[in-house]
Amino acid sequence: MGLDTWSLVTVYEIVVFLVTVPLLIFGWLMGAKGKNPIRDAPFESGQTHLGEARQRYMMQYYPYLIMFIVFDVVAMFLFTWGLAFSGVPLTQDYLFLVFIAVLVAPLGYALYLSGRREFW
Amino acid sequence: MTCLQGLPTLQEIVNLVLRIITSRTFLEVVFFPGFLNVMLSAAFLTWLERKVIARVQLRIGPLYAGISGILQPIADGVKLMFKETIFPELADTKLLMLCALGLMLLAFAPAVAIPFGEGFVIANMDVGLVYVFAVLSLFPSVILLIGWASNSKYPFLGGLRSLFQQVAYEIPMWLSVLGIVMLTGTLNLTKIVEAQQRLWFVVPQVLGFAVFFTAALAELERTPFDLPEAETELVMGWMTELSGVPFMIGFLAMYTKLYVMSALITTLFLGGWSGPGFVPQPVWVLLKTFLVASVIVVIRGSFPRVRVDILLKTGWTRLLLLALVNILVTVALISFGLDWVWRI
Amino acid sequence: MPDIVFLTLSGLVIVSAIFALEARELIYGAVGLAFSLIGVAGLFILLGAEYLAMFQVSVYVGAVVVLILFTIMLVRRESGRIVEEEEPGRLGRAGILVAGLVALAVAGAVILVVPMSLEAPEFHGIPLRELGRYLASSYAVALVILGILIGATVVGGLTLVKVEREETNSGAAQ
Repeated sequence: MGLDTWSLVTVYEIVVFLVTVPLLIFGWLMGAKGKNPIRDAPFESGQTHLGEARQRYMMQYYPYLIMFIVFDVVAMFLFTWGLAFSGVPLTQDYLFLVFIAVLVAPLGYALYLSGRREFW
Repeated sequence: MTCLQGLPTLQEIVNLVLRIITSRTFLEVVFFPGFLNVMLSAAFLTWLERKVIARVQLRIGPLYAGISGILQPIADGVKLMFKETIFPELADTKLLMLCALGLMLLAFAPAVAIPFGEGFVIANMDVGLVYVFAVLSLFPSVILLIGWASNSKYPFLGGLRSLFQQVAYEIPMWLSVLGIVMLTGTLNLTKIVEAQQRLWFVVPQVLGFAVFFTAALAELERTPFDLPEAETELVMGWMTELSGVPFMIGFLAMYTKLYVMSALITTLFLGGWSGPGFVPQPVWVLLKTFLVASVIVVIRGSFPRVRVDILLKTGWTRLLLLALVNILVTVALISFGLDWVWRI
Repeated sequence: MPDIVFLTLSGLVIVSAIFALEARELIYGAVGLAFSLIGVAGLFILLGAEYLAMFQVSVYVGAVVVLILFTIMLVRRESGRIVEEEEPGRLGRAGILVAGLVALAVAGAVILVVPMSLEAPEFHGIPLRELGRYLASSYAVALVILGILIGATVVGGLTLVKVEREETNSGAAQ
């Protein structure tokens, strides 16, 4: 049927969608009813839960997230370079290396900040 | 703007639908190598895991449901479908259901680009490789949302750990395949497999393979990187508060991801469909995929868990460095003119 | 066919953006943003820029939205999560009306005066390899400057966070 690539992906995803939604609805309807506070409490291995669930865990790794965005963009440029690389290095291929090297310093800084646990 | 030129008649609609349903592309999409194949492979992998882990632990694993327990996944699925969908009181039910749906859509999406033979692929994208990576990069946000929406300490912490782990290992994963991209000059998965006809990429790109494999283990949240699911610490991590069908979806999504990653490793490093001709090409793909998955499962039974800060640091420093070294090695390979091996 | 797809994607972008702005919970706003950006990626695919679409998804939705979500989740909730909304007063309502009329006038003038067609112009895309060539040769210096800029932004941002943490820590120690 000569559909182009992305249409096929869409059709495929629609198939997944059409299977999942009835499944979820079915599961929702099939359960036994009967609310009680013990059943509806968050699971903490038998203890009653105390304290707010959403706290500042793992805040110290925040710099890693920022570096991820940066290196995501780097990867985008790097892939175009990799595609074009034909073995005959232009004089300016080295500038690509400089591009990466420049961004190693912030990475080091991020690693340093994330390592100091008491600080956060 | 194009106007509707008269509505088609009912007969025409029925004919159109029938033509679509019986067309080869549609059958490919729905059955093989599309949806049903992925679903059954993921279910098969749950059985495989339980059997292999059992043998590693000197047990037998599932035994009664069908021959050697092969129908166990189906039994599990049916059971979970009839369990009540319980969420904690303060949890955000709508968001959790939406995320469960999103998890399914994401887990199945990359399979569309995996080639099963020459010209036998559902979606022959020119950017197939980055398509798979883009889909994989969406998992952390969905998992984070599930952890948040559960409004409970264990899932939230598990979601956060999963987020940082996957984010830390995604960059080395991408950079480790840059060598393959340089050797073949394409992002098209079919062409990458075709380029491996003389020599599989696992040989020249040993370093890249090692980095990719390690990063894949981290992406899959599998031992030795299974902190988000650390049973002794976090119950089930971000899946703790999922029950019934949402749990089935989360569980299935994890094994679908395992299938997809194994298939990707096969495609990128192990020559995809290539193999002696007495076995059809798609079977080679499946065999190699399940072999890789078995290795991953055995690793689960063999290694202890890595601590979270060591885990993150290793991903950001050592693996990144190794991936860059791999790129330099590839540059050297190409500069010495050795890349003719992989050019068709 | 392309028109329907284009309209659906545009609709997704706009509706998600409006939802993101109007949602009561910040988290829902971030999710709306994610959908909107995915719609934008779809529009890129329609334009034939598949590579860009893939990285749009993985950078924007996979990284930026995650950062936003993470920040929302870990900000302390003393301030309360429901934002007090005021109804716009009389002056506000008049302002909205004037703004709407001006927008209509400008849009009408543009449509009538500027010759437009709904046919997209011929797209001669650059193959990715050429793009790589260009980046490595003509635009290499620009790339390095970009790298320095990004690096400076990151270091600046991290330093700001560090200073703030130090203040909080020393404040708590007192």
